[in-house]
Amino acid sequence: MTETEPPMKKFKHLDDSSTEIFEKYIQKIDSNKNLRAVLSDDFDQPLKLIKVFVGHIKDVKDISRTILKLNEKIPLKELQHLKRVRRKDVILCPINFFNNTLSIQDFIESSVPELKDIFEFFKQAEVPLNPPKIDRHYQEAKRIWSCNFHPNKYLDKLVGDEFFPLCELRTHRMYMKVAFEVAKWYTINKKIDSINLLINLNTTIVVDPKLQSIVALSFDNRQEHPMQHSTMLAIDNVAKTQNGGAWPSNQDKDYIGIPEEILPYLKETFPSLKFYRNDFILESKSGTEKEDRIYAPYLCTGYYVYMLREPCVMCSMALVHARAKRVFFCIDNKKCGALKSKTKLQMITSLNHHFEVFTGFI
Amino acid sequence: MKRALVLASEALAVQEVPVGCVFTHNGHIVAESRNSVNITHNPTRHAEMNCIDFLLDYCKKNNINYENYFKDVNVFVTVEPCIMCSAALNNLKVKEVVYGCANDRFGGNTVLNVSDFYEHNYILSGNVLADEAMTLLKLFYKGTNPNAPDSKVKKKTST
Repeated sequence: MTETEPPMKKFKHLDDSSTEIFEKYIQKIDSNKNLRAVLSDDFDQPLKLIKVFVGHIKDVKDISRTILKLNEKIPLKELQHLKRVRRKDVILCPINFFNNTLSIQDFIESSVPELKDIFEFFKQAEVPLNPPKIDRHYQEAKRIWSCNFHPNKYLDKLVGDEFFPLCELRTHRMYMKVAFEVAKWYTINKKIDSINLLINLNTTIVVDPKLQSIVALSFDNRQEHPMQHSTMLAIDNVAKTQNGGAWPSNQDKDYIGIPEEILPYLKETFPSLKFYRNDFILESKSGTEKEDRIYAPYLCTGYYVYMLREPCVMCSMALVHARAKRVFFCIDNKKCGALKSKTKLQMITSLNHHFEVFTGFI
Repeated sequence: MKRALVLASEALAVQEVPVGCVFTHNGHIVAESRNSVNITHNPTRHAEMNCIDFLLDYCKKNNINYENYFKDVNVFVTVEPCIMCSAALNNLKVKEVVYGCANDRFGGNTVLNVSDFYEHNYILSGNVLADEAMTLLKLFYKGTNPNAPDSKVKKKTST
């Protein structure tokens, strides 16, 4: 009796604490705090500056003539966002623009001789290196030097704290709760340690935001198969809804993208949740073949992906290949997260697809 | 690599992105595959991933520890592995990767150096029969990807 009792107790304890930790997360997720977009590093870093030579004009009447001449002879190709003149100061060129054995006086005399007597004195100044992308940068930049700004309303909203209206925010938070409920279910039913799950495993929910329904979902299987991270499984489950798929699985008959075992639990926990049925695929197969091509979904185009944890390099790139539209995650993956922690794959301009990434659920 | 090129040509024949891949273990070919993205509707079914899955399956069936097994695996692939496949190969700690032509669109070395994120790094070398590999890609992209949406303009390489 003493031989069997301690492990029993231990197991029971583990079971309790495992659901408890998910309940805590689910409670925290259930708030009205807006989500944060994960953006390029330049948005948080201080404004980058560049050193330039500036000439102080003797007579304001000469300003327009000087600017025209300078634009013709020494155009500021890389600094188009800056106004050339600020009060009586005129930007001449970056300080590394010419051979540094020359003085700026010599340089002006040799390249624009017409202007050699225009300036009272020369000096060096630091000016903003890049065009301001958001209003905050513009405000900061124009304190340093006058510059042009083309406001991008979308981007300004994205960097702000009120990106999602409340109703949308609630939806995103609900799908994140689904991700945690799925994790909770597997912890209990597959006896997976919750701490191990939160550190090493993941859950992925793929949603069609137009239909407001779950297309596919998956729980991690990397302990059995090192490639079957939940993202990879979810992408394959989406493929199954498109008459494809590579890995065998026990998906539900009516809802191809959803593992059969979890469906009753989710339907009970979230009665309002909609799931993507196969008959939707069949319905869309009406009409001519050309129409089918237009309505049939292509990979994860247009889909939102909700994940417990920030995906690793492999999974993040898989989501690029799958052309997901937005990726939401709750917990940072400090060790190998590729959307925020270690690198920001969505910011690599040379890739052929870029999704938006949101976090800040807790 | 010649065998990998044959596999890539097979992919081209069935309108898949022509990338072929061969895995060797102690000098013997143990897995070979090509891209199967379009047929599976799964954009992650690259040649390397198919080989990996085949070997994981083989290890499981034969009670072989896959971690030990992959340590002695050499990978020959006609195009530089993409960021996803590079990460997967790093995860599995393969010994060496040899590729044909570079992949300036998705490459796990050219576009983003994936080895920065992993403690284990395999030996990587390229430019083996690169022209042949590139010719196959060019042939593919001259035609249109039958699964891509109509409006998208197709650009260069994909693994």
